[in-house]
Amino acid sequence: MGLAGLIARRAGRRIVSSLPALLGVVVFTFLLMRVLPGDPAIFFASGPNAGQAEIEQIREQMGLDKPIPQQLVLYLRDIATGNLGRSMTTGQPVLSDLKNRLPASLELTFVALILALSLALPLGILAALKPNSIVDNAVRFLCTLGVCVPTFVSGLLFIFAFYYLLGIAPDPTGRIDIFASQPPVVTGFLLIDAALAGDWEAWRSAASRLVLPASTMALFVLAPLARMTRASMLAVLTSDFVRTGEALGLSRRRVVLVYALRNALLPVLTIMGIVFSTMLGANVLVEKVFSWPGVASYALDALLSSDYAPVQGFVLLMATIFVAVNLTVDVLYGLADPRISIE
Amino acid sequence: MTITRRDVLAGSAALATAATMGGSASAQTRAETLRQVTGNAVNTLDPTMPGSTREAFGISVNVYDRLVSFGKKKLGNGWVFDPDTIRGELAERVVTSADGMTFTFHLRRDAKFHDGAPVTAEDVKWSLDRAVSARSLAAAQIQTGSWTKPDQFKIIDPFTVEAKVDKPDRLALPNLCTLYCIIFNTKLVKPHMTAQDPWAQAWLKDNAAGSGAYMVESFKPGEQVVLRRNDHWKGGEDGKPAHFRRIICQTIPEAATRASLIEKGDADIAIDLQASDVPTLATRERVKVVSTPQFNAFTMVAFNTQMAPFNNVKLRQAVAAAMPYQDIFKAALFERGAALFGGTWTEGPDKAVFPQPMPLKTDLAKAKQLLTEAGFPNGLDTTFSFNVGSAAVSEPMAALIKESLGKIGIRVDIQKLPDAQISTLVTEKKLPFLTETSIAWLPSTDYFFRNFFTGDQRWNYSSWNNAEINALTAQARFEQDAATYEKLCKRMIAVLAEEVPMIMLWQPNQDAVMAKTIDGYVYGYHRQVDYRDMKRV
Repeated sequence: MGLAGLIARRAGRRIVSSLPALLGVVVFTFLLMRVLPGDPAIFFASGPNAGQAEIEQIREQMGLDKPIPQQLVLYLRDIATGNLGRSMTTGQPVLSDLKNRLPASLELTFVALILALSLALPLGILAALKPNSIVDNAVRFLCTLGVCVPTFVSGLLFIFAFYYLLGIAPDPTGRIDIFASQPPVVTGFLLIDAALAGDWEAWRSAASRLVLPASTMALFVLAPLARMTRASMLAVLTSDFVRTGEALGLSRRRVVLVYALRNALLPVLTIMGIVFSTMLGANVLVEKVFSWPGVASYALDALLSSDYAPVQGFVLLMATIFVAVNLTVDVLYGLADPRISIE
Repeated sequence: MTITRRDVLAGSAALATAATMGGSASAQTRAETLRQVTGNAVNTLDPTMPGSTREAFGISVNVYDRLVSFGKKKLGNGWVFDPDTIRGELAERVVTSADGMTFTFHLRRDAKFHDGAPVTAEDVKWSLDRAVSARSLAAAQIQTGSWTKPDQFKIIDPFTVEAKVDKPDRLALPNLCTLYCIIFNTKLVKPHMTAQDPWAQAWLKDNAAGSGAYMVESFKPGEQVVLRRNDHWKGGEDGKPAHFRRIICQTIPEAATRASLIEKGDADIAIDLQASDVPTLATRERVKVVSTPQFNAFTMVAFNTQMAPFNNVKLRQAVAAAMPYQDIFKAALFERGAALFGGTWTEGPDKAVFPQPMPLKTDLAKAKQLLTEAGFPNGLDTTFSFNVGSAAVSEPMAALIKESLGKIGIRVDIQKLPDAQISTLVTEKKLPFLTETSIAWLPSTDYFFRNFFTGDQRWNYSSWNNAEINALTAQARFEQDAATYEKLCKRMIAVLAEEVPMIMLWQPNQDAVMAKTIDGYVYGYHRQVDYRDMKRV
């Protein structure tokens, strides 16, 4: 069997084995939402003069008039048919809301992750090559700074400095200039859609709006990535095969970048998977600060107003993404180190 | 085909021209566009949908027309809606019968829906039938004006509609001015009616079928709404279309970002900035601030009058005398509003308007004495609740109340609750002592009392059930004689001052912060921006 077939079989088995976990997440979130205090029907009926009749009507609309076990069964049936319910906050089906908003969150997260990796890998390697030197300490300082400043603080600071004071950043609202024309939606990723449409003005507008939020996120996750790279490089650099390589007269560059780094990447990959999943959820503050129309801020708004359907939909989405990311990481493991096979 | 050097040159010249023209075109669009930034999102195009946000109300006011609407008057340094003058919107004129029970609406002959179809009596009848029949927010509101069933609306001829009430209700006509009584284009709506949804509520949530000054160009729920001017609309006061060609209403959750957008000139108007930011913005002078007292709103502290210990009148009076009025007005609201305490009358009010300053002032010695008379010489323990959404104002308020009541022996535990949770507890009447801000769309005294001081609905925050007030409000509603009405209202206010089921604190200002070039802002009953009045000068 070829490598591709092996990977596909492995992936299939992993997906099947993660189904019980997803089901557990669905049931748990469902129950959790119902024990939280606050009656959504009353909240949404809070218009002028809304009385008991309106409350009852909304309760019925949201299906809250039925006993909880029955609600759960109905909910599971709906999920099986791809119906995640309707959001009271936006008035739209949750599925279409998530579909519209997920690309925004993913685009931001991907760009932030690439940005973070392109900084963290070199910094981590540099720090590992000269442990306890000035470089190492400078990297440590940067990481500490990044991790201890909350994203909403750094985000607001960035806005204040680059938009308000210096005026070099575009107005920090949304993914594209509100007066610019939007490229037709193909993938939902604005950078890709604009490039496909050949609309470079829109591409520039979208890209320039990504800089501040992505930097905010990147700064926040720099620490785990750089620290993990450093630690794992340190361990590898002292191992036998590196010493052998050096003794054989291979160039320092070749030893570090080809032999050592490839072996040091495994733990970094693991961390990357975790960082990616947490970023998607932890984006919420960045999304709020930059009015980014992503899924995390959507879920937060829903949670504050006890809007059950979007919160449940969001948790399910996150769980699915987590499963997918773990799977990808496992596959990448196999590519980085063929000795590893996960069954 | 061969491409010569000349072709290339001509081509690039054309491109260069196109580029400059494109630039000027978009600059022009910017000048002709009004960009409003709001904290909340528009969640429906049909404002009668249960759960619609205030921002959704604002959009619908501009997209739909009503038969009649309120005029405007000067108040403070700005314009506000005038509930006492009613002018035609789709109706050219309204004839009220001598007994005040029949209203005849003569429609404008030139009024057209966005698709060009004329607005007819049939559309009006269907829309009003929908308002009283569909299960929506509209029915609950307009029954306060005695509109309850479709039989009340009759088509006289294609451009005349008659509406009748059984008793001369003071609020019958004002209710038809509210944003719930919008007129729909029945030709567009009817194909979307189904057996389960006879009033096409599902379709109208995402689609507009109106005749208003603006048409919906794009609607992204939770993000933004873009409106385009309806050039055929002539419903403004001067009979001209609205000024702005385009309107963008965009959701920006972070208040600080909204403030910097306005200050940098990237956005044109915001009405929901943080109260503490507004004075700073005003002093930096790059923007214009129009502050109008929300004369139909109020912030109050309510007691649960149906539950111990606050079912005790003396105790309520004691707390009212211990409230640090001026301090909280200053610390929580930066005095940006009209005070509703410190009235000087004793026997009864001089005016019948409400809310008005009540005769309440801080007097700790009197408070201590009243507390003893109430049977609590050693004080008591209670909780004071407010919602997280109002923390900027309520947090300092709660701290000062706790401190001041502590001086007379009342130990207050502060309880900060998420919005959904406090709505539930308020509706279920489980909180003993709380603060909220509320609003009455139709600010007449009897309406205030009917909504906030009688009945068991959520808005009767203090669950007050006073036989005299119940009788007075029932009578005032249908009272045609102005002098008698005034007498009834003054009596209601006097009873309120005596029994203090609720302590009125203030009417917060509506601070509209806008670019210096923007003019024409009017404070509306819905607390939103009416784009039809707005101009860039």
